[in-house]
Amino acid sequence: MSSMSGDRGTELRQIFYESAQEILQSLNEEALKLEKHPDDLEALRSLRRAVHTLKGDAAACGYKELTSLAHQFEDVLTGEDLTRSATIVETALTAADVFSEMIEAHHNETRVPTGEPLRKLIAQLGSAGPAKTAGKKTAGKATSHKRSCRAKKSIATTVSQKSVAAKCSPRTKSAVVKTKVVKTKVARAEIETIPGWTEYECLSIETARQKSVPVQHVTLGLDPNCVMPEAALQIVRNILGKMGEILAFSPAEARHLSVAGDIEAAVATRETPDTLTQKCRVPGIIAKIKVATLASLRSATTAAAEAPAVEYEAEKARTQQRAEENSRPATAENLLRVDSERIDTVLNLVGELIIGRSMFQQTLLEFGKRFPKDPLRARFSDAFAFQSRVLSDLQRSVMKIRMVPVENLFRRFPRLVRDTARICNRNVELVLAGQETDLDKGILDALAEPVSHLVRNAISHGFESAEERQRAGKPETGTLRLAAYHQGNQVVIELSDDGRGIDSTAIRNKAVAQGLIHSDEAQRMTETELFKLIFLPGFSTAEQITEISGRGVGLDVVQNVLQRLKGSVNVESTPGRGTTFRLRLPLTLAIIKAILFRVEHRLYAVPLNAVAEMTRIHQSDVHLVDGHEVLQLRKEVLTLVRLGRPAETTGDSKLFVLVVSHAGQKLGLVVDELAGQEELVIKALDTNLLSSDLISGVSILGDGRVVLILNLAAVAERRSRVRNELGTAPWGLLLPLAEARQFQELSTQDRPPQDLQNSIGAAAEGEL
Amino acid sequence: MKPPIRVLVVDDSAMMRKLIPQMIQKDKEIEVVGTAINGNFALRKIEELRPHVITLDLEMPGLNGIETLKQIMRTHKTPVIVVSSYSTEGASITMKALGLGAVDFVAKPTDLQPISEVEQELIAKIKAAATSKGVCALPETPVKVRKTASFSNKPASKVIAIGISTGGPNTLQYLLSQLPGDFPGSIVIVQHMPENFTRMFAQRLDDSCALRVREAQSGDLLLAGRVLIAPGNHHVRVRQMRLADVVSLSNDEKVNGHRPSVNVLFHSLAKGFGARGVALLMTGMGDDGVEGMGAVRDAGGTTIAQSEESCVVYGMPRVAIQRGYAQSAVALEALAPTLQALCAPERGASTGASAGTNSG
Repeated sequence: MSSMSGDRGTELRQIFYESAQEILQSLNEEALKLEKHPDDLEALRSLRRAVHTLKGDAAACGYKELTSLAHQFEDVLTGEDLTRSATIVETALTAADVFSEMIEAHHNETRVPTGEPLRKLIAQLGSAGPAKTAGKKTAGKATSHKRSCRAKKSIATTVSQKSVAAKCSPRTKSAVVKTKVVKTKVARAEIETIPGWTEYECLSIETARQKSVPVQHVTLGLDPNCVMPEAALQIVRNILGKMGEILAFSPAEARHLSVAGDIEAAVATRETPDTLTQKCRVPGIIAKIKVATLASLRSATTAAAEAPAVEYEAEKARTQQRAEENSRPATAENLLRVDSERIDTVLNLVGELIIGRSMFQQTLLEFGKRFPKDPLRARFSDAFAFQSRVLSDLQRSVMKIRMVPVENLFRRFPRLVRDTARICNRNVELVLAGQETDLDKGILDALAEPVSHLVRNAISHGFESAEERQRAGKPETGTLRLAAYHQGNQVVIELSDDGRGIDSTAIRNKAVAQGLIHSDEAQRMTETELFKLIFLPGFSTAEQITEISGRGVGLDVVQNVLQRLKGSVNVESTPGRGTTFRLRLPLTLAIIKAILFRVEHRLYAVPLNAVAEMTRIHQSDVHLVDGHEVLQLRKEVLTLVRLGRPAETTGDSKLFVLVVSHAGQKLGLVVDELAGQEELVIKALDTNLLSSDLISGVSILGDGRVVLILNLAAVAERRSRVRNELGTAPWGLLLPLAEARQFQELSTQDRPPQDLQNSIGAAAEGEL
Repeated sequence: MKPPIRVLVVDDSAMMRKLIPQMIQKDKEIEVVGTAINGNFALRKIEELRPHVITLDLEMPGLNGIETLKQIMRTHKTPVIVVSSYSTEGASITMKALGLGAVDFVAKPTDLQPISEVEQELIAKIKAAATSKGVCALPETPVKVRKTASFSNKPASKVIAIGISTGGPNTLQYLLSQLPGDFPGSIVIVQHMPENFTRMFAQRLDDSCALRVREAQSGDLLLAGRVLIAPGNHHVRVRQMRLADVVSLSNDEKVNGHRPSVNVLFHSLAKGFGARGVALLMTGMGDDGVEGMGAVRDAGGTTIAQSEESCVVYGMPRVAIQRGYAQSAVALEALAPTLQALCAPERGASTGASAGTNSG
């Protein structure tokens, strides 16, 4: 739009892109709702409203094609005919896709895809028309064919219908054609031949006929190769003018010609139709000629008379229903759209404040030690406590801003499930649960791809065909359940199907065949361990496995994203009963509660929610099984991972073991010391400084010390790899890091580990 | 400086809630004090913010526009400007809203029209609404008037051309409802209104008066008791033909930013009808039709301006009176009798139009 200044235009469009996403989403949702309940009038109305809003917004942005398509669609949706719900659903879904592509193209300034196929689809839907009034409509249509063509650029059929209705009001016609009261149904056959002449033209014809001058109705088809229709019209006019008096002539202007098709004229002349035909034969201009003596001016009134009445009724019904709508609950108001970067800035600052608080606390402690009797100490403490409380609130509030309900992610799935199920020829019902669970926006956005992937996978491979299901005694329609819930400091997203499940034997065989594991190793592996294999990159390309086990296409992608998000994924499956994928995610990426520990004088941290328990054992409690160090903890046998140096021979030394669980597996991390629990503000890791997949981030403590955050996924993975490759107990995973120079300052200033350990243990248990 | 006009924007489209304030706040005298996503919130915010003018979208989830409007009219009486869409249905609800007491309406910006035009229109209408003398709401469903069974189809004794803009819909509905079905004159109206809306408007008027109202088409006859509304985006002219008087439409360039233009209609009236012509300028902004009214007067026709106290916006009539083109200023209530008096007596004046009655 030329008059829209650049900046404003850009800003507007930006808003449009965002709001259009929501509109399209609701278009999808309402369509699916309508598909489920074809008689849901409310869904139909909401659907129309979505299209309506999109039209208005697109128009304001100057997106003509989009506007006109939406307009056309909206007009077709007018009326509340639920008999064609199925067609409406199809059209609406296609429309949502096409609109989305178009908007995307506008956004990226690429070529906008054509909307023609959609236009046709909409036109089809329109021509199907409301069933109840179809009879009347066709009648009106036939009579007014030419009229509607002349109506100013009415896009959709409904529009032209209405314009016709308005034009052909019975009263005005009766003004001219008074004598035709008794005309009956016979008239209808002829109606089509009567072009849409104006009142004055009709009056002229009528007058001439009353003077008993024969009136010839001339219909001329213009040669499609005729280059100058304007000139052609003039020529025709001249010819007819010489024959007699032209009483009526349409179209008036050449530019209407393409729309109207033929030239229609009424000429008062004593010449015979044959003579007229002969005179009108102009090669290259006129392609077809039809001349008929006009017996009477039987205008289109008889049929069209009903139209306005019908329309009025419909209008009344609509307004009534609209009045009933007003009791619906209100949607979110006062929404503020803020660039997520701005929130991140605030969050970063809050992070700095938290670091500041630690510094303050440290100083306060020292102050207390140095001046235990000073009255200022208590006042400092009070001030500090107050400030911490406010800071915690602040942190929570800011984090809350970033939180969005999982629904934002889930709402895309009904459509995906429907489409995928259709393609794969499966009957699948999607059940959603826990949509209100909040999750960090950044995480949620990143989850879209992997979860979609899992959903597609589940449908295409997880479910059996309807016959197969029947044979297995299961309901024909499979159920896919997508649920979200909080668990501790994590959000769990669960995708479970009641399909055929994963065949662990097939995985085992394939993994051995691919050389991923030894065969004897394979025999020993538990099911959980076997299932983990499907997330390996090597597994993803194995086509056969896909067929045999039904899983494995690109699951490493899922794994990768989850790792990046500091989450985890695991699988449970019962053959014949179904499969569950469980995605665990931190509530937010920015700040985590963590347990700090030391290995080789360096400070590390693991997320608190990964820690199952902490324990102190004697070296003598550790057993060697098959070259692995294991620990019997109550009734569980735990594999130990030594992050630092290997075990010393003296059997009496005590070890700290951090029991962590990752992706459904438990590990015991042997650390040198425990160093407390902290709230860590995660900073991005500079890869120049340190590049190891074992570390997922760094954080700075209040006193300036640097903490490395352990990537548990990598540790767990490393453990099995080391075991596979070397067949020896893993140790010294973190030793290479200890030698890195950059963090030498870490080793100073230690706190006594003993009492800390206790307090941490208590805290951790409380937390879990 | 005057205190700004406080405006509340009600629209369910997030984009419109951004765009409309952007547009209208370009004017220093306007301040958007709030926005609302639907009627429920709008009503709450009216309580809280006490806006001077409300712009209202009619298609909203929750409490829809019409219901919201009814409530506003019932309890707050704040002037409302309807912001409506170009669709057929949009036009029909808009007409209904005007009947319920909305001061005026503006069509949402589309690619058909540069946004600056909508902007100016909206700003002007908000200002007009802020100074408008309250709301004159008509019954929601117009009283169905029984038309006389058979029409006389006489050519009109006089041709009355009316130019009207802001505040027009309700004013016209009132005026026409006061005229009897056997009114001997023929009326041609230019109401500044976009395409699509005029058809609905004509239909609504037709339902509420004894005269026969319709949107004009080229070649329509000027018959006694008939009212023709110029369709949006077309100029309308009146012409004397051999057999009868007709209107003709054209797509000529806009005249002073208007199409239909009152000036175009008035000039054609002056040219073809002389003393048979009556030019009437009614409520509305600007000065469209003033020049044309001068021409009608010079051609021997009658010229009337609606008087100030009955105008929603005293613009066009004011200029016409200032320039001395309007021979009289008549209050809305007195217009119907005045027109009847003008058309009725001089039978001799109706020359030139002999046809149209042929099969009487």
